[in-house]
Amino acid sequence: MWKITLKGMFSHKLRLVLTGLAVVLGVTFVSGTLVLTDTLHSTFSSLFNRVYQNVDLQVRGVAAFSNQTGAMAVREPFSQSVLTTLRGVRGVEVVEGGVGGYAQYVAKDGTAVATGGAPTIGMTYGEDPRLSSLTLVAGTGPRGSDQVVIDQGTAKKFGFNVGDRVKILLPGAPRYFTISGVVRFGTADNLAGATIAAFTLPTAQKLFDKVGQLDTADILVAPGADKAVVQRAVQRVLPRGLEVVTGQTVANENTSLMNQLLGFLSTALLVFAFIALFVGAFTIFNTFSIIVGQRTKELALLRIVGASRRQVFQSVLLEAFLLGAVASVIGLGLGVLTAMGLDSLLRSFGISLPQGALVFSMRTVLAALGIGIGVTVISAISPARHALRIPPIMALSSYSSTSVSSPGRRLLVGAVVAAGGGLCLAIGLMRSTIAVVGLGAVAIFIGVGMLAPLVARPMASVLGRPLATFLGVAGTLGRENSMRSPRRTAQTASALMIGLALVSTFSVFGASIAQSATGSIKDAISADYIITGSLTGAPMSGISSAAPAVAAKIPGVATVTRVDSGVFEFQHSVVNLTAISRQSLSRTIILRIDSGQGPSTLSTGGMLISSTIANTKHLKVGDSIRVRFAKTGATTVRIGAVFKPSALLGSYVVGDGFFRTHFASSTQPVVLLLKTSPGAAAATASSIKAGLSAFTNLKIQTRDEFIQTEQAQVNQLLGLVYALLALAILIALIGIINTLLLSVFERTREIGLLRAVGMRRRQVRTMIRTEAVILSLFGGVIGIVLGTGLGIAFSSSLKQQGITDIVVPYSSLVVFLVVAALLGLAAASWPARRAARLNILDAISVE
Amino acid sequence: MSTTHPIESAPRDAALTSVAHATDLVKTYGSGAAEVRALNGITVDFEKGKFVAVMGPSGSGKSTLMHCMAGLDVATSGHTYIGELEVGALSESELTQLRRDRIGFIFQSFNLVPTLTALENIVLPIKLAGGAVDQEWLTFLVEQLGITDRLSHHPSEMSGGQQQRTACARAMIRRPELIFADEPTGNLDSNSSGEMLNFLRRSVDEFHQSIVMVTHDARAAAHADRVVFLADGQLVGEMLAPTADAVLEQMKLLGH
Repeated sequence: MWKITLKGMFSHKLRLVLTGLAVVLGVTFVSGTLVLTDTLHSTFSSLFNRVYQNVDLQVRGVAAFSNQTGAMAVREPFSQSVLTTLRGVRGVEVVEGGVGGYAQYVAKDGTAVATGGAPTIGMTYGEDPRLSSLTLVAGTGPRGSDQVVIDQGTAKKFGFNVGDRVKILLPGAPRYFTISGVVRFGTADNLAGATIAAFTLPTAQKLFDKVGQLDTADILVAPGADKAVVQRAVQRVLPRGLEVVTGQTVANENTSLMNQLLGFLSTALLVFAFIALFVGAFTIFNTFSIIVGQRTKELALLRIVGASRRQVFQSVLLEAFLLGAVASVIGLGLGVLTAMGLDSLLRSFGISLPQGALVFSMRTVLAALGIGIGVTVISAISPARHALRIPPIMALSSYSSTSVSSPGRRLLVGAVVAAGGGLCLAIGLMRSTIAVVGLGAVAIFIGVGMLAPLVARPMASVLGRPLATFLGVAGTLGRENSMRSPRRTAQTASALMIGLALVSTFSVFGASIAQSATGSIKDAISADYIITGSLTGAPMSGISSAAPAVAAKIPGVATVTRVDSGVFEFQHSVVNLTAISRQSLSRTIILRIDSGQGPSTLSTGGMLISSTIANTKHLKVGDSIRVRFAKTGATTVRIGAVFKPSALLGSYVVGDGFFRTHFASSTQPVVLLLKTSPGAAAATASSIKAGLSAFTNLKIQTRDEFIQTEQAQVNQLLGLVYALLALAILIALIGIINTLLLSVFERTREIGLLRAVGMRRRQVRTMIRTEAVILSLFGGVIGIVLGTGLGIAFSSSLKQQGITDIVVPYSSLVVFLVVAALLGLAAASWPARRAARLNILDAISVE
Repeated sequence: MSTTHPIESAPRDAALTSVAHATDLVKTYGSGAAEVRALNGITVDFEKGKFVAVMGPSGSGKSTLMHCMAGLDVATSGHTYIGELEVGALSESELTQLRRDRIGFIFQSFNLVPTLTALENIVLPIKLAGGAVDQEWLTFLVEQLGITDRLSHHPSEMSGGQQQRTACARAMIRRPELIFADEPTGNLDSNSSGEMLNFLRRSVDEFHQSIVMVTHDARAAAHADRVVFLADGQLVGEMLAPTADAVLEQMKLLGH
């Protein structure tokens, strides 16, 4: 039986290649993701180990919030007097204090150095090389308050040399420094794209507003001393609120934070890989169904000469297994190549990673093979079951093939599966468990796929009517071909249906997010200009704390409102707090108050919460809540008002006075809002830009521009999602090509007859193309309708999270449908040419 | 049994036992007004070691009879036996075993697996059953059939006659108790037909193969030991030691 299967497979290489391609692409995606994230993981873990390899022990503040640990935790700085205490501990050889903060270089052309999301690190240059993670490659360490040491990556890329003057943007006012030296991080030019500016300790303390304070104190243990003993001794002398950990612990914490971030990346990529494989499964299922159908006679013959049902079943599954295995191995190889490509892509973006080979773990191999083979074999089970039910008598030409399974049962199962999926989806959305939502969506797709044959005939008829009218007899025949086997039409279209359903879902979802975000900004901002920094999020937004005062002095600027942000603990979760000043508030920010007194709450030290939080946490105006701040510890705050949530203000708002009490005095604002003076005296974009020219990284936008930027960001993300879904669509198209080729093969005789009675080649091509376009439109229409429904469901379920407007982007959906039809046309070109090229005599003499 | 010209059976040799028989076999297709009775109460017996031809005009039910007796189709009522085994009572896997171990098939359209060579096609039933090939028997068969030099060819590279001889070798490779041949010469030219029929005749004479052959060709039927005639799903006569002319005569009487 092995031999028959193998021989059968090799005699149909083309369908093998096309079916295998679906698996290859999916497995490439899976293995590429795994290899890339494994490689990044190992890269970062070795990087952090190298950074902390010289640090035996590190003293730092304990995590400020009980449920935060490791590298994510907020830690308060401590007095540098601890250094003296530490030096007195037996076994401590060297102690060096350090502080860190925001420091962004300005390139020679006056623009701020962009890092593409990586941090711009300002830090202390350790005097003792035994304790430092930095290696000087040129010049010397910094001396005095005027010198800085730069990382080699930034120096190379922007042409900085020892002795150059360089402008650096800081939490306070920007300043010029002289480059005294260039450093590397072990063997890496920089830290995965981050820039480094290292200063002397006193300079760094001044720049980062931590005079007399330290973020960390690194300890080198004396030779021969036991690290653990020294650690215990240090812990005994530390004041309350400080802890001592090993350098290895810090490295591990950083690694695990990075792994968490990489985990999100790999999960996101794997979700799309699985979508691709899911679509691939439909393609495989369809191909095997057709193959089994075409091989009915051969399989029946095997049954007649003594093959058992089990042998027939196994032969189909064996074919699937071999196909899956070969495709998975190829996919695995391509995945590694893809990961290598992405790796060099990162490098070309200037993200210097430490040298390290690609990590190709056993898990990747097992996952790729397991998933690839599993998907193929599982997809072939139903066709294989179909094959085993073929009665031996089918081998005899006098018996025409008849449908073996009852359509009624199929439809019932389809309806049950789809309904179950809908239920699953609803439950998942209500409980916001994404896995249940995913399961529900998968079930809906399978269920709809099973129900689709029901509508395939009438829909193909309707969709094909205009084509048949315009394209004459060839179009009519194409339309009839698409109606001939509703089940095949539906199965082929199913893969495309899923692809387009997901695209539509994200389209609706994205449009709703964009609309809600921009809508809430429109409703929340009355300012004329919005100023944002180069980085997002507190405490390092990139907006200098000196900027608001400078902005206020620009002629024609009437009001400047600074918006601050920080984290605090509210009912056992760490959340963002927004701070605004009451002064002239209404000229820049519109607070939409549901209940309570907004402005007076801000000035009296109360808190405003959004209506979403008020509803979910059952809070109301007048309630007193226990909260916790990193700097000042636990306290009680009164809820003074409930406001409508907005993207600008978040969910918790306090006045600036309250904020300054509980946070460091020099925090950087996250946004500045400007209102210009009325009339001709109003400041213009260029005059504001000129006024703030010292802060080269600031982005000055009008209210409309700001809204457009927000919208563009959503669209950018949506574009990325579309790109990732493109693979699924591609696989669906391969499925259409495959089906059409198989159909052409099946109808060789028929096409030959048509040619014999005078059909021109061109008409043959038109006939096949018409069928393909109808198939695509069928999949497209169902997919878009389904996807729009799913998108509306997703968006509605996130109302509490701020998606208040549901938008159906009709024009995009129409574009998708047109694109689907065009893609179908493209998919048909090869099968159409093949059909047109058939030799008439050969075609009609085929048995 | 209603027939216009009944032909009495010759007294049977007592030593000959039945290799297959059917009693009161009825097969209907469709229901109600559209009901078609393909078999209408046939009782027939095929002897061991004999070559029996089943004849009748198109639609007389001769193929249906064969399919029901071979377990390929299920009769509406009545019983069929292969040896002592009641075919209708067998499960799906027992039927597979029956086909694999005790019956051989030869079809009008050869029905070779196109991707396998002649040799692979011949030994397919053994491979499916998981047994060892009797090389001596195989060599003997292919020599007798004259396809020794065709063994490595694919069906598409062989003439119709060669393909049918390959199918014949496949049917006989397991030394089945009974071979069902369904119009084995229907797709062959007269030369190939003759060779095929001579071989079937010899296999009965020389190694006592039992054969049931469905045909509508009087010359083919003339190679048989006995011919049974069917019309409208009923047995309408039989003929021992047939000649082509006698068979043709009989067929004319049946309104062929």
